[in-house]
Amino acid sequence: MKRRDLSTMLGVWLLAAAIVCPQVRAQGNQAQGNKPEPAPLTLNVGDVAPDFKLHYFDGSDLKEVSLSQYRGKSNVVLAFYIFAFTGG
Amino acid sequence: MKAFQQNLKQLEAADTQVLGVSMDSPFANKAFADQIGVTFPLLSDWGGDVTRQYGIYVDKYKAARRVNFLIGKDGKILEEQIDRDAIDPKKIVDACERKKLSR
Repeated sequence: MKRRDLSTMLGVWLLAAAIVCPQVRAQGNQAQGNKPEPAPLTLNVGDVAPDFKLHYFDGSDLKEVSLSQYRGKSNVVLAFYIFAFTGG
Repeated sequence: MKAFQQNLKQLEAADTQVLGVSMDSPFANKAFADQIGVTFPLLSDWGGDVTRQYGIYVDKYKAARRVNFLIGKDGKILEEQIDRDAIDPKKIVDACERKKLSR
């Protein structure tokens, strides 16, 4: 009786391993996969760009700039960069 | 930023204002602008609120991703360039010129 319990347990373990192992391997392959694609942006073409108020220093004063001040007047390129004194 | 400066005349002729944005202080940005000869404003998003609002804050670097947004006069986004693609502004310049011609 005890022996049968043991072999049943073994059977369950083998079955579980057979199900889980290929999944784990598949995940590993995915992670290693090719070059990571750049993550998509949350703002898409056609969305309204969120308004903001930011400052810049013109050499003597801090000047305020908002996105809404250009509404109906000109297009705006917002060029986000990582840090000052870096390329790009 | 230098690449936008080189195309600034074309962009201005197409009714387009260029604004750089980073999470540096206004004073660091001014020094950077002077060093590389940029004449358009480099805005300081000190604290990163706007960077987060635009969904491009990178936790790992505590900074923004390199992204260009072209925003039309109606406030809607016309073009986006992400990461490496964002270094060459040609797509943005072309889009502005197309808009100018189509008016």
